[in-house]
Amino acid sequence: MSDLPPKSSIRRWFLTTNHKDIGILYLVTALFFLVFGGLLAMLFRVELLTPAADFLGESGYNQAVSTHGLLMVFWFISPFAFGFANYIVPLQIGADDLAFPRLNALSYWLYLFSGILFGISFFQGVTFPGGWTMYAPLNTPAYMPGEALGATSVVLAMIMFVAAVTLGSVNFLTTMYRMRAEGLRMRDIPMFSLSINLTVWMMLFAFAALLAALIILSSDHIIGTNYFTYQIDGDTFATNVNNPGSSMLWAHLFWFFGHPEVYIVFFPALGVMAECFQTFTGRRLVGRKWFIISMVLVALQSFIVWMHHMFLTGINLEIKTLFMATTIGISLPFDLMVFSLIYTMIKGRVRYMTPFLFSLGALLLFILGGITGVFLGAVVLDYQFRGTYWVVAHFHYVMVAGATALFGGLYYWYPKMTGKMYNEFLGKVHFAVYFIGFNLLYFPMFIAWETPRRVFNYPVELTVWHNLSTVGAIILGGSFLIMFYNLFVSYFRGAEVGDQPWEFATSAEWAVASPPPLENFDGVPSYASGTLEFLSPSDVAKRQSGHSGAAADGGTAETSPATDGAGAEAGALATTETALATGAGTAEPTGHEHASHASFWPFMISLGGFLLFLGLSGIRTGSMLYTSLALVGGILGFGSLVGMAQEPFFAPETAIAERWPFADVEKMKLGMWTFLASDIVLFGAFIGSYAFIRFAYGWEAWHHDLIPEAHVTFPGLVNTYLLLTSSFAVVLAMVAAEKESRAGVMASLGATFALGVGFLINKGIEWQHLFHIHTEAFPEGWAITTNLASSTFYLTTGLHAAHVIIGLIIAGYMFFRSWNGAYLGDEKPIEYFGLYWHLVDIVWLFLFPLFYIL
Amino acid sequence: MTHTKLYTIIYVVLFAFATIQAAVEGFGLVDESYWFAFWLIIVLSVVKAVMVAAYYQHLRWEPRSVSYLAGGGVLVALALTAAAAYSIV
Ligand code: HEM
Ligand SMILES: [Cu+2]
Repeated sequence: MSDLPPKSSIRRWFLTTNHKDIGILYLVTALFFLVFGGLLAMLFRVELLTPAADFLGESGYNQAVSTHGLLMVFWFISPFAFGFANYIVPLQIGADDLAFPRLNALSYWLYLFSGILFGISFFQGVTFPGGWTMYAPLNTPAYMPGEALGATSVVLAMIMFVAAVTLGSVNFLTTMYRMRAEGLRMRDIPMFSLSINLTVWMMLFAFAALLAALIILSSDHIIGTNYFTYQIDGDTFATNVNNPGSSMLWAHLFWFFGHPEVYIVFFPALGVMAECFQTFTGRRLVGRKWFIISMVLVALQSFIVWMHHMFLTGINLEIKTLFMATTIGISLPFDLMVFSLIYTMIKGRVRYMTPFLFSLGALLLFILGGITGVFLGAVVLDYQFRGTYWVVAHFHYVMVAGATALFGGLYYWYPKMTGKMYNEFLGKVHFAVYFIGFNLLYFPMFIAWETPRRVFNYPVELTVWHNLSTVGAIILGGSFLIMFYNLFVSYFRGAEVGDQPWEFATSAEWAVASPPPLENFDGVPSYASGTLEFLSPSDVAKRQSGHSGAAADGGTAETSPATDGAGAEAGALATTETALATGAGTAEPTGHEHASHASFWPFMISLGGFLLFLGLSGIRTGSMLYTSLALVGGILGFGSLVGMAQEPFFAPETAIAERWPFADVEKMKLGMWTFLASDIVLFGAFIGSYAFIRFAYGWEAWHHDLIPEAHVTFPGLVNTYLLLTSSFAVVLAMVAAEKESRAGVMASLGATFALGVGFLINKGIEWQHLFHIHTEAFPEGWAITTNLASSTFYLTTGLHAAHVIIGLIIAGYMFFRSWNGAYLGDEKPIEYFGLYWHLVDIVWLFLFPLFYIL
Repeated sequence: MTHTKLYTIIYVVLFAFATIQAAVEGFGLVDESYWFAFWLIIVLSVVKAVMVAAYYQHLRWEPRSVSYLAGGGVLVALALTAAAAYSIV
């Protein structure tokens, strides 16, 4: 652990693990990607001045549109919201930081480097040209022009981004369930924090499904699996499709993620709107309870509407009807929220300050966007609207409405973050120009709705509307010059503000200085008396003796063991797992030292991951450059993970806190379980993908057509025995640690390790055998690329094997520590490792029958 | 002494169930009546998984909320798989 340099030092920003610093980093980086994505949009708006590809060229147009979408949806809007979340949520709930500060820094650096990787893709010939929805088979190398290395980079950048998101979700959930101020019930936390809570829940599950999709896609790109290949042995797919599920598989996986994603984008904005409406009307949200219930309903329902994006695919009419009903249904809770905001405005006395103007503007835009969405949810109407500018106009009205509210949030919290007030007049001018530009840009798209989307051609008579749009785009883009100027100049010349610049703001971030001190609060925040107070250490000690057990179990340091990200796709995942897996590796369970705030390793790990992925993007060309990049990156990433595991880092559990419904689950365990929940979805989506394409192919014919005789049950059975036994050994290690038997711990961990290695060796022998069989049906062996069954078999069990390898590295690390007498009387790290290892075991319990027997 | 005996019994049961699954195939049941064998084997896997989760991951002794968390993940994956498969019936 290093000390944290002052804010004026560049070094600080590479070292910091403090949530407020990281919040600022997110905001600045996200705004950079806004400009990046915005400039791309300018390019294709200029292209669209005439209905022909005479400016960017055909491929240039496709690239600009696709990367614009990806950058805005992934690299701008959510990270921008999470800049606020990082800064504000701990303050609002009374925590001094997030639960795992180093993982938080790691999230940020993975995000930044994923964006850099994305940027590099532009220089690899052609970047990703296939639309932000990344539809496959369209986006597999077989159907892309050129080498498609840039496209592969983008897919890998997405994987890195998802790793950042997953870490972030785990971190926020653990924080919000373990570190709320005493007396602060979940339903009472401020609206913004509540919206973030629901957002991260959706993220945790939705992004895991996306991760499965991306790993499969990158595997089709890099190692040549055939999940998304229509016709594997080269006939035309018009006559003889032997992978009928291919295109539908992507659509299901992507939209299963994609619809929750649109609420993931919108919810933080809704939270900002609720905050601003309350503060600037001086009134509590009308029907707050129903507003919250509506949000919870929407968050749940968001997982059962995805097929409204697939009305024009071959899904059957029954399911279309069902999903039409769920889609129309989901708009009802939204109506309630809209009315609640409107009533709040009517009942209160409105002060039209800039943050409120943006929030109100967002509401108006959202209403129009929402209503046009309901049109799209009706199957018959969608038959007309699908693939037209109606959709483009709809989702810009809703998504950019969300962004509008977030810009309001930027003005709202700017004084808190900088201690300076922005210029109100310029703020209002920004809003006026923004709002005019927005409507001029997007409204004509409703009128010119017959324009096909993602195409540079359109009917000539619509030219005037497209030209209006382009003018609007210039105005909208230009309005940001006003904002950047305002915020930049105000930082140096703005009026100083106190704790509380807004008269009626009530949430806890306004109870501390602007900007808040490093550790946020002077005492320990508590709502036990009904209002916010700060307890002195002696008060806390008194309360603790009153509480029994759980709340006072002292601090556990956040540490993480060494592991690697060697396995291609598992690379990004490894970080999460390792960092959480064995918990208190080097814990100092005292409560006396000061919390740590600095670590260099998150940056280094991400740099390593970045080089690794950059190398992987071109490894299929066999080039020395790419191969060595991957190698160097892998080693750097691995070494840094070891470094992070060795580094003592102290992030104590809060002494007293409100922890419903996870009061008895300490933070490392909760973090682990949260992570495992997302891993369950990842594997679930993998198994689901296998089931889906097998089902599409013909469930029973599959075995007969595609699998060689030599693929027998026995090696799978042996591996089942090995894994079951190793799980049992971990349990014994835990028992031995409880009994403080060093020999017992070492023997059991050693056995776990040996059995895991045995599992891999057995698998290796089996694979070698299958690769090299010579039979009439499979003269060239049964390799990864041979057919659908081999692709699904090797990739799914390969992902599982990568999990085994990660587990083994952790187990090996723990074995060495137990040699030195670790864990005696402190079995928790073994327990947490066991949670992970048993899950790997459970997954195998399903892979075995599905891939070996049935 | 913690639940060592219980853990051992569970281990034996898991081992036996895996063997039964392989035997179902060995005795030709998979060829004879595929869907019967299919559900038999899947149910055995589910039982095994629940046992590992309940005892080895000691969900039984954790607050219920942790089981809901893990169950949520399972539910999400099942919803995706089932609805996707149904959509192309
Ligand atoms: C109020 C309820 C909403 C309903 C009923 C609704 C409905 C729909 C439907 C049916 C589609 C598919 C159109 C098609 O491709 O033919 C769609 C597309 C889309 N919606 Fe919404 N929507 C709603 C709210 C939102 C919100 C809040 C957002 C984001 C903040 C959003 C973002 C999107 C996006 C990005 C697409 C286009 C996806 C693509 O690229 O194909 N929608 N919406
Ligand atoms: Cu949707």
